[in-house]
Amino acid sequence: MSRSSINRRTFVTLAGAGTAAAFGIPAYLPRIGEAADTLKIGVIEEYTGVYAGPAENETAGFQMALDAWNKRGGVMGRKVELIKEDCQNDPGVAAQKAHKLISQDKVAALCGTVNSGVSLSVSGVANSASTIFIDSGGHTDLVTGANCHWNTFRTCHSTWMETHATGYSLAKKFGKRWFLITPDYAFGHALETGYKDVLAKIGGTIVGNELTPLGTTDFSSYLTKIDAAKPDLVIVLVQGDDYTNCLKQMNQFGLLKKYPVGGPQVEIEPLLGLAPDSRSGYWGVEWYYKSDLTLGKGNTLAHEFVEQSTKQFGKPPTARNCFGYVTLDRLLTGIADAKALDAVKIAHAIEGVRFTSIFNGSGYYRKEDHQLMWPMWIAKIRPNGTPGDKYDLFDVIDMQPADSIEQTVAEKEKVCKLGYP
Amino acid sequence: MKARTELLVAAPVVALFAAAPYLAPLVHLDISIVSEVLVTAIAVMSVNLLLGYTGLPAFGNAAYFGLGAYGAALSVQYFGFHFIEAILIGTALAFVGGLILAPFLLRRRGIYFGLLSIAFGQVFYFIAYRDTDLTGGEDGMTITRPYFGIPSAHIVIHELSFYYVALVVFVVALLAFRSIVRSPFGRTLVAIRQNEARVRFLGLNSDRFIFVALLISATMAGVSGALFALLINFAYPLELDWHQSGYFVLSMILGGAGTIWGSLAGAFIYVIGKDIISTITPLWQIFLGALFVACVLGFPRGILGSLAAIWPRPAAPAELDANAAFDAHAPAEAPYGS
Amino acid sequence: MIHDLAPQVFNGLVLGAFYAIVGIGLSLIMNLTGTINMAHGSFMTLAGYLAFTMVSRGTSFWFALIAAPLIAVIVGIVVERTLVRPLYKREPFYSLLMTFGLSLMAEEIYRLVWGANGVPFSPPPGLASAVSLGFMSFPKFRIFIVIVLVIAMIALALFLTRTRFGLRLRAAVQDTEMIAALGTNTQLLYAVNFGLGIFLAGIAGVLAAGMLGLSPTSGNALLMPAFVTVIIGGMGSLFGSIVGGLLIGMAISLTTLWIPAASEVSMYVLMALVLMIRPRGLFGEEGIFG
Repeated sequence: MSRSSINRRTFVTLAGAGTAAAFGIPAYLPRIGEAADTLKIGVIEEYTGVYAGPAENETAGFQMALDAWNKRGGVMGRKVELIKEDCQNDPGVAAQKAHKLISQDKVAALCGTVNSGVSLSVSGVANSASTIFIDSGGHTDLVTGANCHWNTFRTCHSTWMETHATGYSLAKKFGKRWFLITPDYAFGHALETGYKDVLAKIGGTIVGNELTPLGTTDFSSYLTKIDAAKPDLVIVLVQGDDYTNCLKQMNQFGLLKKYPVGGPQVEIEPLLGLAPDSRSGYWGVEWYYKSDLTLGKGNTLAHEFVEQSTKQFGKPPTARNCFGYVTLDRLLTGIADAKALDAVKIAHAIEGVRFTSIFNGSGYYRKEDHQLMWPMWIAKIRPNGTPGDKYDLFDVIDMQPADSIEQTVAEKEKVCKLGYP
Repeated sequence: MKARTELLVAAPVVALFAAAPYLAPLVHLDISIVSEVLVTAIAVMSVNLLLGYTGLPAFGNAAYFGLGAYGAALSVQYFGFHFIEAILIGTALAFVGGLILAPFLLRRRGIYFGLLSIAFGQVFYFIAYRDTDLTGGEDGMTITRPYFGIPSAHIVIHELSFYYVALVVFVVALLAFRSIVRSPFGRTLVAIRQNEARVRFLGLNSDRFIFVALLISATMAGVSGALFALLINFAYPLELDWHQSGYFVLSMILGGAGTIWGSLAGAFIYVIGKDIISTITPLWQIFLGALFVACVLGFPRGILGSLAAIWPRPAAPAELDANAAFDAHAPAEAPYGS
Repeated sequence: MIHDLAPQVFNGLVLGAFYAIVGIGLSLIMNLTGTINMAHGSFMTLAGYLAFTMVSRGTSFWFALIAAPLIAVIVGIVVERTLVRPLYKREPFYSLLMTFGLSLMAEEIYRLVWGANGVPFSPPPGLASAVSLGFMSFPKFRIFIVIVLVIAMIALALFLTRTRFGLRLRAAVQDTEMIAALGTNTQLLYAVNFGLGIFLAGIAGVLAAGMLGLSPTSGNALLMPAFVTVIIGGMGSLFGSIVGGLLIGMAISLTTLWIPAASEVSMYVLMALVLMIRPRGLFGEEGIFG
């Protein structure tokens, strides 16, 4: 026998043992903490892949809400339990995980997702199984638009809300000649359409629109065109790692000193990936842990949440933590209010109900499209944070109420038919 | 293998899969993932035909898989086609894709063939990603599963029925695959793999054989893709990326390249293994990567190939054992031309 | 028109220089043993992360620029001796698959150690700003990259032509059997060659971390351009990799000017064209892969 192949006996033993182990384990290893009478909620998140950071933060938010509810005795007298699955940033895998959670784990509802494609895939599976799904972090308009379902709700702001929360303020502050750097795919086009709508309403112009294809790590070819276009403002629509790359390169080209920069949304996670000298501009923020404007003056629930989360996870909560918390909190409230596990009853119990939570003011999941209507804010970046707090990167300067930034019910009803059974 | 031994092997396997709807829940699995195993196995068979038997590194089959998926999804979404037609249309689109690319791929062998397939695959990937109006881009395309059979019958396919449809299609595909590789055509493919120059000296036009193999491979991958789109009611660009092609190739190696059942074994290990491990730990990718490394280094003949090598049985003529070429100590064959 | 063209051409050349460094490392590894290193991007990312850790502990950028790649080389040689060596006698596609599996593991390990979010890594203050070139403002760091490329090329050329070891390396690429018969320790040769390729990958990785972002998935984005560089320039030719890199940089830049949507795809189209018309690339040698 040679050294790199395996001999007969070893092979058979290994193969047999391996197979038995692989398929025996899940059958006999009880899920930790599983008890027959706990209420199970399925969590689908992108724990591996480019969205792992936000996914973890959303999960941290779920955990906080879970602990709070369990401390109060659970829902309908039962303790609540989260069953988490990694969808691997792949809509196909997400669909299978959703099937598994619904049919094998018998979860009462699903929540989670960051990647819009994954959100849509899970929404579809949940719909065919008549199960509630609350999309905590997938932003595409379609989730509460053309692909809406009676069983699907969405917590984070839609793409339309992002552009309209920021567009008018940015134009007012800097001017109406904009240079856009747009990722050349569905998400980017949606943002582009949103801003075009804003500009049309205020009479602005797009002096440059660079569509950067998928996989662009080097933005230099696009950045070199900015000087010639002489914009009032450079709008950066790329997100995540691309955002980090783009801003870093803008800084290296000296552009951050020359032109103001802004955009529909920024999160703390990508900013932490940038050195302080590249952090700049005015951006939409969906929530923030350290501003009265976002938390609400005197909002004890919010302040306790921030304090607790910081202690438990070692860093302040981001907007993603907020999405997670609000999502699970409202889901469990809906189940408790419905006093039933029937999805239709839960859906009716969730929609339309105004509530206060860990953000300023109040919100409600709109009856017509199940989009959470809550305010959005604009912040100026503080490159170095504040003394003693390197996470304090946002100087929140303005707030926009939900009704003025999302499409009206009439407009939405043209594309979204919930289709209650 | 004699016909009786074959039946002895095939019968329990088919019986096992027929009983899967009852067996799967026992190991905490939903039946739809077993459907995915069968669907993936068809795609892995398509790679097996090219790589396992003909010796061509097929690293771009995800392109045909994706064409099948989008073909089916588009036909349902925009033209209202039903289940069977959707599969046929998806397959036809993949076939056309194969028809277009084959003349280019034919010109190269060996690793150049592999790199060329990757390049073409990536071009399709970018098109799917960018053409948002048609394909939905990275949001993907959501479809509602269409009715089965005659429209007026309104037969809805739920997950269980889908499984049996997938099983039937898989069995048909497997039988087709088996008769192809057993036929003189199939034997010629293996001969081409061993020494293409010799085949040509014997007066056979190896290009024509490879061309047909490419078309068959594209068609099978297309069937797989179309079924997959109807399984998850979704089509998305990642299905076309070279990583997806890579997973098909790895499944083939795991199961046993150049064997008839190897594709099923490999698909089973990959799909179910990944599902179970990813439920247990978020570090599943380390295990998956380690499995691939171990497989390539330690048993490149795959599960079935290694089994066949150590199981006592009358030795098959060397030329007919396509899997033997994957042995760790087979000398590297110089690809013809290039 | 010239006004638009000049910045893009200049930018393309500089970008090309970066791709050239990446491509040369890959080419070195491929030429001698036919190993297709799908984990090349992972080694780049490793060096980037190591540099990040060093700098955040207080070392200077310059120290990290050399030290991080050296540590990556150690890892690389361990990998070569244990995982790559058994595959030398087999077809290239095995090394492709094995290193693909390795890259999957690497990505997850980086996520485990350094976190899922990107980490900030910047050029040193002296190189962080832009300099005015008349027709455009250009980042000093990118010019630095070109300088590094030139130094690396000169160093590599000297090594390959003026040292005995380099001479043996070149001889081994031509005819490994003969040089083994003449008494050279080929195993040592393979290890050093791989190490050299990884060292270049490491340097490229630290530079990339400074220019682009640094996250567990960073390696993926740079892997394909690296392959395209080698294929276009020609497998078996280091000079070809330089030309290939410059060509890709230019192709991406210029398509951005005229057909922006196609700029990332242009790379693959070029790759397909070269593979079909002249698979050994512009300067490649026959017989590397048949």
